[in-house]
Amino acid sequence: MKKEIAITAFKCKSCGKIHYPFHDRCLVCKNREFERITPQGNATLLTYTAIFNLPWGFDQRFLIIGVAEFENHVKALGQIKADSVDQLKVGMKVIPSWEPIRVQYGEDVYGLKFEPMG
Amino acid sequence: MRDVAIIGAGMIPFGRRDEDTLMEMLAYASLKALDDAGLGDKSVDAVYVANMGGGMLQHQSAIASSLVDRLSLLPAAAETIENGPASGASAVKNGLLAVASGYYDYVLVVGGEKMREVTGWRATDFVATMTHPQVEYPYGITLPGMGGMFTRLYMEKYGVTREHLLAVSLKNQAMGTLNPYAHVEMALDRDGIFDSPDAIVNNPTSADPLHLYDLCPVSDGAAAVILCPLEMTKKLAKPPVLIAGFGQATDTQTLQERDDPTDLKAVTLAAQQALEMAKLKPGDIHVAELHDAFTILEIAESEHVGFFEKGKGGKAAAAGKTRLGGQIPINVSGGLKARGHPVGATGVAQVVDIVWQLRHELPENRQVQNAENGLTVNFGGFGNNVLSFVLKRVQP
Repeated sequence: MKKEIAITAFKCKSCGKIHYPFHDRCLVCKNREFERITPQGNATLLTYTAIFNLPWGFDQRFLIIGVAEFENHVKALGQIKADSVDQLKVGMKVIPSWEPIRVQYGEDVYGLKFEPMG
Repeated sequence: MRDVAIIGAGMIPFGRRDEDTLMEMLAYASLKALDDAGLGDKSVDAVYVANMGGGMLQHQSAIASSLVDRLSLLPAAAETIENGPASGASAVKNGLLAVASGYYDYVLVVGGEKMREVTGWRATDFVATMTHPQVEYPYGITLPGMGGMFTRLYMEKYGVTREHLLAVSLKNQAMGTLNPYAHVEMALDRDGIFDSPDAIVNNPTSADPLHLYDLCPVSDGAAAVILCPLEMTKKLAKPPVLIAGFGQATDTQTLQERDDPTDLKAVTLAAQQALEMAKLKPGDIHVAELHDAFTILEIAESEHVGFFEKGKGGKAAAAGKTRLGGQIPINVSGGLKARGHPVGATGVAQVVDIVWQLRHELPENRQVQNAENGLTVNFGGFGNNVLSFVLKRVQP
């Protein structure tokens, strides 16, 4: 079953700056009150890389990771569902999902994944 | 505030040092600096030890307390400074402030790291712990991965090419062959890592678009300096070097929260502060040690410090402007790329290399002729905590 994306971003109630991750004070105006928002719609890929020297905990040949911006301007890092960076381009649309991103202590850890559109 | 000078500098060869413990490396570098300062049998007032991974990699804490005991520096004040890959410069800064304030006269600053006793997997994971623990680290992002994403953006915005990155690799590894303290003493062949069909094997992708030889090695090593007030340096065997300026600035932990992720604001601010304090301009600097953990960083930092306009650093490197004898020699030591990057040691090692340059005591094939002013940039996290020093030769 498809899981809902479990990310909360924080929109400053004073200046509108969107924060992800959370900050106790707004990065722009220092205000401490935020509206909790969830990422909306699809996303645009801002940058990406394929990592071949992976850290402990990842038993695979390589991992493609990137940063994407959702339609409501929440920006987040996630794993990319592609076989090669040749399938990717900065500015392309990607479909976000909430899926296992690694296994820790025998349990799936869920996180953001992006799949190239089309 | 008092003017502060570096009166002793020491380093041990970086590399894989299976025979030494972390504490031994810190001790050897400290003794070299103490001897260099002519303080061999004397004590110091305080000791600042830069180290990032002792707790995680060696299962050791309170490292500074252990070091002063081993070195018979008791009852000197002692503390360990952890600030990621900028730990070394942070420790130098703390020593500088302690002496400048008048609280201590003689301070030992030593940085060291032992990273090669764990597997590459573990070392990569250890370095990745400086990323955001909820929104970055769980995804498997690494520091080279951050470098890869940054490089892609820099290439798109400024037209940096793999040829520009290659120029940095070739230069720094060539310089490493001349530096007896360097981890990597192997010159690279352009054909073998770039032009020939074998290059894909010899120089594979590490964090696209960065390749193996765009990255610094994982190293063991240590470096140390002795600080004291400039006014107390009259009877020394070696010329003191003035810490004429320093700067430090921070930025967001994640790249995605920066308005322009290609803008290394903390580098710009730290270098500006250091240069203003020293009353110098980028054009007055004769030699620089920049934090080239990845080749792109040497190029980007050379622009953010003000040596070159934004977007011109890659072409400057390719044109030889950053070589020994060029417009501004950068990383004559071989930089992190060849000298190596034992994370806690790096910021101190950069200062040691500039001290040697400003004393004019290096062999001709590494000495920047008539160098009077030098600059360092020690880059923590992915540019979220950066320190810069400007050092000046003191005229005898």
